[in-house]
Amino acid sequence: MITQMQVKGLMFDPYNNAYIVVLRDEDEAEMLPIWVGKSEASAISLALEHVAPPRPMTHDFMKSFLDAYNAKVISVVISDLNEHTYFAKVHLMYEDSEYAVDSRPSDAIALAIRSEAPIFANDSVIRKQSSEELEQWLENLKPDDFGKLDS
Amino acid sequence: MTNTAQSNVQDLIPLSVSRVVEDTNTDTRIIVLTRTDDSDTFTIWVGAPEGDSIRRALDSATPPRPMSHDLVKSFGEHFGITTKRVVLTDVKSSTYYATVFLENKGVERSIDARPSDAIALALRTHAPIYATQDVWKRRSGQHLDAWLAKLDTKDIDTQEV
Repeated sequence: MITQMQVKGLMFDPYNNAYIVVLRDEDEAEMLPIWVGKSEASAISLALEHVAPPRPMTHDFMKSFLDAYNAKVISVVISDLNEHTYFAKVHLMYEDSEYAVDSRPSDAIALAIRSEAPIFANDSVIRKQSSEELEQWLENLKPDDFGKLDS
Repeated sequence: MTNTAQSNVQDLIPLSVSRVVEDTNTDTRIIVLTRTDDSDTFTIWVGAPEGDSIRRALDSATPPRPMSHDLVKSFGEHFGITTKRVVLTDVKSSTYYATVFLENKGVERSIDARPSDAIALALRTHAPIYATQDVWKRRSGQHLDAWLAKLDTKDIDTQEV
Protein backbone atom coordinates (compact mmCIF):
# COMPACT_ATOMS: atom_id res chain seq x y z
CA MET A 1 0.00 0.00 0.00
CA ILE A 2 1.05 3.53 -0.64
CA THR A 3 -0.13 6.79 0.89
CA GLN A 4 -0.20 10.12 -0.90
CA MET A 5 1.97 12.74 0.76
CA GLN A 6 2.18 16.51 0.47
CA VAL A 7 5.27 18.60 0.92
CA LYS A 8 4.40 20.56 4.04
CA GLY A 9 7.57 22.55 4.24
CA LEU A 10 11.30 22.82 4.53
CA MET A 11 13.10 23.27 7.80
CA PHE A 12 16.72 23.98 8.58
CA ASP A 13 18.42 21.46 10.83
CA PRO A 14 21.23 23.31 12.60
CA TYR A 15 22.64 20.11 14.15
CA ASN A 16 23.38 18.53 10.81
CA ASN A 17 23.70 21.73 8.80
CA ALA A 18 21.11 20.29 6.43
CA TYR A 19 17.50 20.79 5.52
CA ILE A 20 14.48 18.64 6.28
CA VAL A 21 11.72 18.19 3.72
CA VAL A 22 8.58 17.46 5.71
CA LEU A 23 6.06 15.23 3.97
CA ARG A 24 2.63 14.65 5.53
CA ASP A 25 -0.38 12.62 4.47
CA GLU A 26 -3.76 14.26 3.89
CA ASP A 27 -5.07 13.49 7.38
CA GLU A 28 -1.83 14.80 8.80
CA ALA A 29 -1.61 11.55 10.72
CA GLU A 30 1.73 10.53 9.31
CA MET A 31 4.91 12.45 8.77
CA LEU A 32 8.11 11.72 6.89
CA PRO A 33 11.09 13.97 7.52
CA ILE A 34 13.68 13.64 4.77
CA TRP A 35 17.09 15.19 5.26
CA VAL A 36 18.53 16.81 2.13
CA GLY A 37 21.48 19.02 1.24
CA LYS A 38 21.38 22.75 0.65
CA SER A 39 21.22 22.67 -3.14
CA GLU A 40 18.53 19.96 -3.11
CA ALA A 41 16.50 22.02 -0.62
CA SER A 42 16.87 25.04 -2.85
CA ALA A 43 15.63 23.05 -5.87
CA ILE A 44 12.52 22.00 -3.94
CA SER A 45 11.94 25.43 -2.46
CA LEU A 46 12.08 27.19 -5.86
CA ALA A 47 9.44 24.80 -7.19
CA LEU A 48 7.20 25.10 -4.12
CA GLU A 49 7.22 28.86 -4.38
CA HIS A 50 6.67 28.77 -8.15
CA VAL A 51 9.76 30.88 -8.64
CA ALA A 52 10.78 30.89 -12.28
CA PRO A 53 14.54 31.36 -12.17
CA PRO A 54 16.09 33.44 -14.97
CA ARG A 55 17.91 30.34 -16.18
CA PRO A 56 16.80 26.72 -16.10
CA MET A 57 18.12 25.12 -12.93
CA THR A 58 19.12 21.45 -12.85
CA HIS A 59 15.59 20.11 -12.25
CA ASP A 60 14.11 22.49 -14.82
CA PHE A 61 16.68 21.08 -17.22
CA MET A 62 15.64 17.57 -16.16
CA LYS A 63 12.02 18.42 -16.93
CA SER A 64 12.96 19.96 -20.32
CA PHE A 65 14.81 16.74 -21.12
CA LEU A 66 11.63 14.71 -20.45
CA ASP A 67 9.34 17.27 -22.14
CA ALA A 68 11.45 17.18 -25.32
CA TYR A 69 10.16 13.66 -26.01
CA ASN A 70 6.84 13.85 -24.17
CA ALA A 71 7.90 11.62 -21.32
CA LYS A 72 5.49 12.28 -18.43
CA VAL A 73 6.17 11.92 -14.73
CA ILE A 74 3.13 10.01 -13.43
CA SER A 75 4.12 9.82 -9.80
CA VAL A 76 6.99 9.64 -7.39
CA VAL A 77 7.18 7.04 -4.64
CA ILE A 78 9.36 7.16 -1.55
CA SER A 79 9.95 3.44 -1.77
CA ASP A 80 12.35 2.41 0.97
CA LEU A 81 14.16 3.48 4.07
CA ASN A 82 17.39 1.77 4.98
CA GLU A 83 19.75 2.95 7.72
CA HIS A 84 18.32 6.48 7.68
CA THR A 85 18.61 6.72 3.90
CA TYR A 86 15.46 7.07 1.86
CA PHE A 87 15.12 5.65 -1.63
CA ALA A 88 12.66 6.79 -4.26
CA LYS A 89 11.36 5.83 -7.66
CA VAL A 90 10.17 8.14 -10.40
CA HIS A 91 7.34 6.56 -12.38
CA LEU A 92 7.13 7.79 -15.95
CA MET A 93 4.99 7.18 -18.99
CA TYR A 94 6.77 7.22 -22.33
CA GLU A 95 5.29 6.01 -25.61
CA ASP A 96 2.59 3.92 -23.87
CA SER A 97 5.07 2.18 -21.61
CA GLU A 98 5.58 2.74 -17.92
CA TYR A 99 9.03 3.07 -16.42
CA ALA A 100 10.28 3.20 -12.83
CA VAL A 101 13.63 4.92 -12.40
CA ASP A 102 15.67 4.88 -9.17
CA SER A 103 16.29 8.30 -7.71
CA ARG A 104 17.17 10.12 -4.55
CA PRO A 105 14.01 11.44 -2.85
CA SER A 106 15.24 15.02 -3.23
CA ASP A 107 15.48 14.75 -7.04
CA ALA A 108 12.19 12.87 -7.19
CA ILE A 109 10.36 15.49 -5.11
CA ALA A 110 11.92 18.44 -6.98
CA LEU A 111 10.82 16.85 -10.26
CA ALA A 112 7.34 15.87 -8.99
CA ILE A 113 6.50 19.41 -7.92
CA ARG A 114 7.63 20.79 -11.29
CA SER A 115 5.61 18.14 -13.11
CA GLU A 116 2.56 18.49 -10.85
CA ALA A 117 2.81 14.77 -10.17
CA PRO A 118 1.63 13.21 -6.90
CA ILE A 119 4.12 12.07 -4.28
CA PHE A 120 3.49 8.79 -2.48
CA ALA A 121 5.23 6.90 0.30
CA ASN A 122 5.23 3.16 0.79
CA ASP A 123 3.44 2.31 4.02
CA SER A 124 6.44 0.25 5.05
CA VAL A 125 8.53 3.43 4.92
CA ILE A 126 6.02 5.29 7.05
CA ARG A 127 5.97 2.46 9.57
CA LYS A 128 9.74 2.43 9.78
CA GLN A 129 9.94 6.14 10.28
CA SER A 130 7.60 6.81 13.14
CA SER A 131 7.11 10.51 13.48
CA GLU A 132 8.16 10.19 17.09
CA GLU A 133 11.75 10.61 16.10
CA LEU A 134 11.20 14.03 14.64
CA GLU A 135 8.93 15.15 17.44
CA GLN A 136 11.52 14.04 19.94
CA TRP A 137 14.12 15.95 18.02
CA LEU A 138 11.95 19.07 17.88
CA GLU A 139 11.20 18.89 21.59
CA ASN A 140 14.88 18.76 22.34
CA LEU A 141 15.56 21.92 20.38
CA LYS A 142 16.07 24.98 22.52
CA PRO A 143 16.10 28.60 21.38
CA ASP A 144 19.79 28.62 22.23
CA ASP A 145 20.43 25.98 19.59
CA PHE A 146 19.34 28.36 16.87
CA GLY A 147 21.42 31.17 18.36
CA LYS A 148 24.54 29.09 17.87
CA LEU A 149 24.23 29.59 14.16
CA ASP A 150 25.13 33.24 14.43
CA SER A 151 28.13 32.84 16.66
CA MET B 1 35.09 13.16 -30.77
CA THR B 2 33.38 11.23 -33.53
CA ASN B 3 33.74 12.08 -37.20
CA THR B 4 29.99 12.26 -37.71
CA ALA B 5 29.59 14.83 -34.97
CA GLN B 6 32.44 16.83 -36.43
CA SER B 7 31.09 16.84 -39.96
CA ASN B 8 27.70 18.14 -38.83
CA VAL B 9 29.19 20.94 -36.86
CA GLN B 10 32.30 21.98 -38.75
CA ASP B 11 32.09 25.58 -37.66
CA LEU B 12 32.08 24.77 -33.98
CA ILE B 13 35.09 24.67 -31.69
CA PRO B 14 35.53 21.25 -30.06
CA LEU B 15 36.26 21.42 -26.35
CA SER B 16 37.21 19.06 -23.58
CA VAL B 17 36.98 19.62 -19.85
CA SER B 18 40.51 19.81 -18.47
CA ARG B 19 39.80 20.29 -14.83
CA VAL B 20 37.56 21.68 -12.15
CA VAL B 21 39.12 24.21 -9.83
CA GLU B 22 37.68 25.03 -6.46
CA ASP B 23 37.24 28.72 -5.70
CA THR B 24 36.89 28.47 -1.96
CA ASN B 25 36.46 32.21 -1.49
CA THR B 26 33.13 32.26 -3.27
CA ASP B 27 32.12 28.60 -2.94
CA THR B 28 32.01 28.29 -6.71
CA ARG B 29 33.83 26.05 -9.12
CA ILE B 30 35.81 27.02 -12.20
CA ILE B 31 35.51 24.72 -15.17
CA VAL B 32 38.58 24.86 -17.41
CA LEU B 33 37.77 23.94 -21.00
CA THR B 34 40.51 23.25 -23.54
CA ARG B 35 40.27 23.29 -27.33
CA THR B 36 40.84 19.74 -28.47
CA ASP B 37 42.48 20.93 -31.72
CA ASP B 38 44.69 23.45 -29.94
CA SER B 39 45.74 24.03 -26.37
CA ASP B 40 43.89 27.28 -25.76
CA THR B 41 41.63 27.28 -22.77
CA PHE B 42 38.73 29.14 -21.37
CA THR B 43 36.97 29.10 -18.07
CA ILE B 44 33.41 29.12 -16.84
CA TRP B 45 32.33 29.79 -13.28
CA VAL B 46 29.61 27.45 -12.03
CA GLY B 47 27.91 26.72 -8.73
CA ALA B 48 29.46 24.29 -6.26
CA PRO B 49 26.94 21.44 -6.69
CA GLU B 50 27.13 21.61 -10.50
CA GLY B 51 30.92 21.88 -10.44
CA ASP B 52 31.20 18.92 -8.10
CA SER B 53 28.92 16.97 -10.39
CA ILE B 54 31.24 17.72 -13.32
CA ARG B 55 34.24 16.68 -11.26
CA ARG B 56 32.63 13.36 -10.34
CA ALA B 57 32.02 12.71 -14.03
CA LEU B 58 35.64 13.61 -14.90
CA ASP B 59 36.88 11.22 -12.22
CA SER B 60 34.43 8.56 -13.42
CA ALA B 61 33.37 8.36 -9.81
CA THR B 62 30.23 6.34 -9.20
CA PRO B 63 28.35 7.73 -6.24
CA PRO B 64 26.47 5.22 -4.07
CA ARG B 65 23.22 6.88 -5.09
CA PRO B 66 22.27 8.48 -8.40
CA MET B 67 22.90 12.23 -8.24
CA SER B 68 20.82 14.69 -10.26
CA HIS B 69 22.76 14.39 -13.53
CA ASP B 70 23.01 10.62 -13.15
CA LEU B 71 19.20 10.64 -13.01
CA VAL B 72 19.01 12.60 -16.29
CA LYS B 73 21.40 10.09 -17.84
CA SER B 74 19.25 7.26 -16.47
CA PHE B 75 16.10 8.75 -18.04
CA GLY B 76 17.94 8.87 -21.36
CA GLU B 77 19.01 5.23 -21.07
CA HIS B 78 15.49 4.08 -20.21
CA PHE B 79 13.90 5.91 -23.14
CA GLY B 80 16.67 5.53 -25.71
CA ILE B 81 17.36 9.27 -25.81
CA THR B 82 20.98 9.97 -26.70
CA THR B 83 22.85 13.19 -26.08
CA LYS B 84 24.36 14.06 -29.48
CA ARG B 85 26.30 17.13 -28.48
CA VAL B 86 26.40 20.11 -26.20
CA VAL B 87 27.08 23.58 -27.60
CA LEU B 88 27.96 26.74 -25.72
CA THR B 89 25.86 29.07 -27.81
CA ASP B 90 26.04 32.51 -26.29
CA VAL B 91 27.65 34.73 -23.71
CA LYS B 92 26.06 37.86 -22.27
CA SER B 93 27.55 39.83 -19.40
CA SER B 94 29.91 36.92 -18.63
CA THR B 95 26.99 34.51 -18.43
CA TYR B 96 27.26 31.57 -20.78
CA TYR B 97 24.32 29.83 -22.40
CA ALA B 98 24.23 26.29 -23.73
CA THR B 99 22.06 24.06 -25.88
CA VAL B 100 21.85 20.30 -25.50
CA PHE B 101 21.09 18.37 -28.70
CA LEU B 102 19.23 15.12 -28.16
CA GLU B 103 18.20 12.36 -30.51
CA ASN B 104 15.72 9.55 -30.29
CA LYS B 105 14.88 7.27 -33.22
CA GLY B 106 16.12 9.86 -35.66
CA VAL B 107 14.19 12.73 -34.10
CA GLU B 108 16.48 15.51 -32.94
CA ARG B 109 15.43 17.96 -30.24
CA SER B 110 17.37 20.74 -28.57
CA ILE B 111 16.91 22.15 -25.10
CA ASP B 112 18.30 25.23 -23.39
CA ALA B 113 20.54 24.63 -20.42
CA ARG B 114 23.10 26.22 -18.23
CA PRO B 115 26.58 25.17 -19.37
CA SER B 116 27.09 23.39 -16.04
CA ASP B 117 24.12 21.05 -16.51
CA ALA B 118 24.96 20.58 -20.19
CA ILE B 119 28.59 19.67 -19.47
CA ALA B 120 27.67 17.43 -16.53
CA LEU B 121 25.37 15.46 -18.85
CA ALA B 122 27.82 15.47 -21.79
CA LEU B 123 30.60 13.92 -19.69
CA ARG B 124 28.28 11.19 -18.42
CA THR B 125 26.99 10.34 -21.88
CA HIS B 126 30.34 10.78 -23.69
CA ALA B 127 28.81 13.48 -25.89
CA PRO B 128 31.09 16.05 -27.54
CA ILE B 129 31.19 19.60 -26.18
CA TYR B 130 31.53 22.59 -28.51
CA ALA B 131 31.51 26.36 -28.43
CA THR B 132 30.36 28.54 -31.30
CA GLN B 133 33.03 30.66 -33.02
CA ASP B 134 31.34 33.74 -31.55
CA VAL B 135 31.45 32.43 -27.96
CA TRP B 136 35.06 31.36 -28.45
CA LYS B 137 36.07 34.85 -29.62
CA ARG B 138 34.35 36.45 -26.67
CA ARG B 139 35.50 33.96 -24.07
CA SER B 140 36.97 34.97 -20.76
CA GLY B 141 39.91 33.53 -18.96
CA GLN B 142 42.60 33.76 -21.61
CA HIS B 143 44.99 35.30 -19.12
CA LEU B 144 44.16 33.28 -16.08
CA ASP B 145 46.71 30.55 -16.58
CA ALA B 146 49.14 31.80 -14.00
CA TRP B 147 46.43 32.30 -11.47
CA LEU B 148 44.98 28.86 -12.12
CA ALA B 149 48.41 27.27 -11.88
CA LYS B 150 48.72 28.71 -8.42
CA LEU B 151 45.34 27.30 -7.41
CA ASP B 152 46.07 23.99 -9.04
CA THR B 153 49.03 22.98 -6.96
CA LYS B 154 47.10 23.69 -3.81
CA ASP B 155 43.63 22.41 -4.58
CA ILE B 156 43.60 20.05 -7.45
CA ASP B 157 46.56 17.74 -7.24
CA THR B 158 45.35 16.41 -3.93
CA GLN B 159 42.05 15.46 -5.49
CA GLU B 160 43.37 13.36 -8.30
CA VAL B 161 42.09 9.84 -8.07
